[in-house]
Amino acid sequence: MDKGKKRRREDEEIEAVDSDANHSLSLEQNLSFSDTLVALRMMRAQFPHIDKSQLYSSVKDRTQVDRELESLRRDKVVRVFKLNTGQDDHGIMFLDDYLKQVEHVVKRMEEKKQCDLQVFKWFKVHVIESKLEPCIGHQELYALLSLGGRMKDEHISLLINSGFLTHQLIDPSMYWFAIPNIGSILKGLSQGRKELLSLLNRRRYKKMMLAPLEKKHLRLSPLDMRFHLRDLIGSGHIKTVHTPTGIVVRVSKD
Amino acid sequence: MWKEIGDREMGKIRPNSFSSWIKSNRISNLQLSNNKDIVSPHRGSINSLQVDLTEGRYLLSGASDASAAVYDVQRATNYEGNGLIAKHKCLFSVDKQHGKGHKYAISSAIWYPVDTGLFVTGSYDHYIKVWDTNTTQVVMNFKMPGKVYRTAMSPLATSHMLIAAGTEDVQVRLCDIASGAFAHTLSGHRDGVMTVEWSTSSEWVLITGGCDGAIRFWDIRRAGCFLVLDQSQSQLGRRPPVLARSAANKVSVSKSLSAGQNSLGKPRAPQKKYANGHGMKQLTIGRMPAKSSARQRLHPGMLSIQDRATAHYGAVTGLKVTDDGMYLLSAGSDSRIKLWDLESGYNTLVNFEMVRLQTSKAIQLAISQETAQVFVPCMTVVKAFDIWSGKMSLAFRGHYESVNCCWFSSQDQELYTGGNDRQILVWSPCEPMTDDTDTAHTKDQDNWSD
Repeated sequence: MDKGKKRRREDEEIEAVDSDANHSLSLEQNLSFSDTLVALRMMRAQFPHIDKSQLYSSVKDRTQVDRELESLRRDKVVRVFKLNTGQDDHGIMFLDDYLKQVEHVVKRMEEKKQCDLQVFKWFKVHVIESKLEPCIGHQELYALLSLGGRMKDEHISLLINSGFLTHQLIDPSMYWFAIPNIGSILKGLSQGRKELLSLLNRRRYKKMMLAPLEKKHLRLSPLDMRFHLRDLIGSGHIKTVHTPTGIVVRVSKD
Repeated sequence: MWKEIGDREMGKIRPNSFSSWIKSNRISNLQLSNNKDIVSPHRGSINSLQVDLTEGRYLLSGASDASAAVYDVQRATNYEGNGLIAKHKCLFSVDKQHGKGHKYAISSAIWYPVDTGLFVTGSYDHYIKVWDTNTTQVVMNFKMPGKVYRTAMSPLATSHMLIAAGTEDVQVRLCDIASGAFAHTLSGHRDGVMTVEWSTSSEWVLITGGCDGAIRFWDIRRAGCFLVLDQSQSQLGRRPPVLARSAANKVSVSKSLSAGQNSLGKPRAPQKKYANGHGMKQLTIGRMPAKSSARQRLHPGMLSIQDRATAHYGAVTGLKVTDDGMYLLSAGSDSRIKLWDLESGYNTLVNFEMVRLQTSKAIQLAISQETAQVFVPCMTVVKAFDIWSGKMSLAFRGHYESVNCCWFSSQDQELYTGGNDRQILVWSPCEPMTDDTDTAHTKDQDNWSD
């Protein structure tokens, strides 16, 4: 499978994935692979939240990525969320990771104070299973949650407070699905992008070798430098050039 | 090349594939023309370009200084550089000095589809003017309620002569040249309408893209729009697979149910159509005056108003239908280009790698049908993408500032682009330079060698 893998990933990731693949998945589950799924699994090993633009950087054909992502979404393997860090960012999470996150939040709320926690169960059972798009309308949300039990408006505000839903800015009756506790990650994402781009822009020729760039630490972002590099390469702000001495990263000038 | 001609003679290659082979060869080496130059008299950025559809000879351009000009792209007005460079000056130009000309920027200038005797300009001064080409006089004047963003006339129309106008008002208006009045208005958009295109397969179907991100299809003989494109409904591939249709149908059915239950916050004002001009036809409304609890009873054709699906996350800035009428390309201010299958109405999920598109103005896309390429102005570069795979094949760098419009002439395989730097550039397949030894022979006959 030609995935355009970069040399730096080969050493570490392959062993991790191999051991991962051997233990967790049986043959019939992973008999038919798609490039996108393998790329997703590799990146999930690093970090549970993945950015869609990172997928574009690791699989060569972008249309294939879009289509495979769509079929994975329909098969309920992954879930796509719209992030609010500008342009058209989407975050991808495996569905079981997301459900684990839901339980984590519920457990924490149980410890803190007693609220109507059944709404989370209804949310998990009815809404997440049936609504696969990243957004949902108010009426539909109400209808689906009422399938679990008697709904009140406070339940929706509880969902918003715990981070599962956010209001859309343009349309007051539509909500985006969101991942709880993602605020710090999103802030780190946008700050890290700006910092990395300014790092390259400050150089005289706006380019740098990949190897020393990877070793730098970003001051403002808790995320890995490689996370940001993949993200920016996938969204087209940075281009890589293969030279005889290694890979050079430069800011794309269109 | 000669082998292919021989094969064509023998009948081994069919005529269509032979001509598309030649055309794709020429398109693949398109570059800034070194022997053709268009001298533009405009003193403002160029907003719209169109070559006439009947002969493919006259280029009409509209600019921000309220001027419109026509050029002949096949015959040059004069030659420079020892006869090598053909200069095309404008045949005539109408601007603010003209008594009845526009006062503010012209956003859209199109030819009358039947012949080049008329052209239509729409401008930010809220007027649409129809001009007679030979006398350069204004024949007809339509007043719009807002800035006109785009005008369009159907190239297939045999029974109507309607100009569709997209303005900053939420309603799309149809102006009739035959009667000089407004025919009808189409409501459904929730914000200004930035792009308007007629379908290339039916003379009654109009496609509009709005600043609210929605793309709507209207059949002008009926009320309301019959299709709203939704970016979350997608199909994996060029045509929807036969088996997967049942799954996709379930999604669309549940969506229409939920749309029906949505209570509208917006007042019913868009439904009121006021008479503007003389014979105006009111298209809809059998609306009950008594309101039910959360829902308004609507004329069945107007239910589409409640459909709030968006095709783009920002405004729709460019639309283009392929010549066969089967696919639609839309560009949005979220810097995405999407390819839609018109028969099913789904997004085909082809990913066009874009970094940025300009967000405030509408852009004009161009499609080359034989080679299945789309030319997109992205800031200062015009990029050519393959429609089916989304890969960028060519990039045309030549403008000093953002490019607003481009037009591809499939007859000559030439691309005309106009931008904010007031230039119209011509991109043509590179011709081999004329042999200099011919001229040398006549001048210095002693200078020869074996």
